[in-house]
Amino acid sequence: MAEETYPINVWINEERYAKLQEAGLADMAKEKLAGMKVLELRVTPEQKDEILKRFPMAKFDASTTKSIELLPREVKDKMLEVAIEKKSVGPDAMEEFLKIEEFSKKYAS
Amino acid sequence: MAYIGHGGKEIVERVMSPSEAKEKIKGLTSVEISNRAAYECIDLAYGFFTPLEGFMCKADVDAVCEKMTLADGTVWSIPIVFDIDSKEIEEKGIKVGDTILLTYTGNPLAILDVEEIYEYEKDKISQAVLGTTDEKHPGVRMVNRMKDRFIGGKITLVNQIKLNSPFDQFFYTPKQLRDKFAQLGWERIVAHQTRNVPHTGHEWLMKGAWFCSHGDAPVVDKDDNVRLGTGVLVSCIIGPKRTGDYIDEAILLAHQALHEGRYFREDVHMVSIALWHMRYAGPKEAIFHAILRANLGCTHHMFGRDHAGVGDYYETYGAHRIFDDLPEGALKLKPIRVLEWWYCPLCAEVTYSGLCGHSKERQKFSGTLIRSIIKDGVKPTRLIMRPEVFDAVMESADKYGFGTPFCTEEYLEKRQPVFEVPPLD
Repeated sequence: MAEETYPINVWINEERYAKLQEAGLADMAKEKLAGMKVLELRVTPEQKDEILKRFPMAKFDASTTKSIELLPREVKDKMLEVAIEKKSVGPDAMEEFLKIEEFSKKYAS
Repeated sequence: MAYIGHGGKEIVERVMSPSEAKEKIKGLTSVEISNRAAYECIDLAYGFFTPLEGFMCKADVDAVCEKMTLADGTVWSIPIVFDIDSKEIEEKGIKVGDTILLTYTGNPLAILDVEEIYEYEKDKISQAVLGTTDEKHPGVRMVNRMKDRFIGGKITLVNQIKLNSPFDQFFYTPKQLRDKFAQLGWERIVAHQTRNVPHTGHEWLMKGAWFCSHGDAPVVDKDDNVRLGTGVLVSCIIGPKRTGDYIDEAILLAHQALHEGRYFREDVHMVSIALWHMRYAGPKEAIFHAILRANLGCTHHMFGRDHAGVGDYYETYGAHRIFDDLPEGALKLKPIRVLEWWYCPLCAEVTYSGLCGHSKERQKFSGTLIRSIIKDGVKPTRLIMRPEVFDAVMESADKYGFGTPFCTEEYLEKRQPVFEVPPLD
């Protein structure tokens, strides 16, 4: 049985869309909520806990969307960069992100 | 016109004229009070907490904790207490029978007639009202931070508060609101309590609640003119904020933008504020909110999932079920119990989870999700957040929020206060 994963929604603004297009990965973005584009990164339960520990301003929306929300914009920019490099939205991309020195400790935005 | 509030008691305003107040406060011992106590003085004095006319004495606190009633049996779920340090009582020689002057930001706000001075076990309050003594619960932290004595007694306002813009446009006393409802021709009023900027899920919650409250009442008069007589009262809770919350001004002005954008007819919707420090008591706070809105003249109150909850301390629909436990007639106001609305790509609309059968395809959204979208620099689609609401949020960010619609340390430190208490001239 596949492990349960949770989404981090990277909402695609103009800047982010340009980067995806440049990398030829615009198709990785899904359409959601009547026309918005989102890159849905998937994280494992352990990664979820680690992210919430490192980014205390973020919140796991347990009651409605079951997603990690309220991460700082610059953090999501970096997650997007890693996803583009790895050409992946799966936990393997998040594993790489969690190794980045700048985000390895508790983050104060 | 009689203004009858909760428990069948008349709404009493305890507000002194300036000339009488100036004489009355001469020589009184003064005590500087917190923001929470100031809000509660205002609420008590104008009848928001009818039948209470002052801070509770011990017998009422006991009854609230043990039976969810006042000592006289009227349903009530949250103790309203005035806390003070025993050292201050001793230093100032405060005793039963005294009248003390309560000051806020150094200026006279109210007088308190000291009927009782007592101690109370804080854990008893927390366990009974909040269902926990866990310090991680914000309501428990509030109770634990209260000082070591309570004073029970009647409150009278001795000064008029000055509400700052934009709050001044939205503050109504219970009597003023009831007069407004009469002016609008509203016979049925459903309260929508909020601490959030409205997305379309909220908008549809309000519209659904409007339908429930209107029920089988007529929609036209004998000449076929549309005559609805049912309204939504948006009641924005104004209280403590944390970083990451929406700023108060954005919440208020965004709801008003929904009104001015005519997503509701002018005669079925209005926006107001309620001054209250949330206890996050879940079901018991739902009862309290129902009482508060009954005092405002509402006939119905909408309750969604986990109303007034925090973390996972309460059952998801505990705030729905608690109303079934009330004795018949204990609360005049009717709860409107609602499920969530979601976006369905197959229905191509925001639709009610209780009716849409596309549970696999539906896309849920929440206030938290919308905040993330805005933080990411994306404008939500109009089906999710009305453009007028978004614009009001962004304008508030510039005007009041130091560049962001979300509370920051800078906002918390430098924001304009909701109201000021001027010197008593």
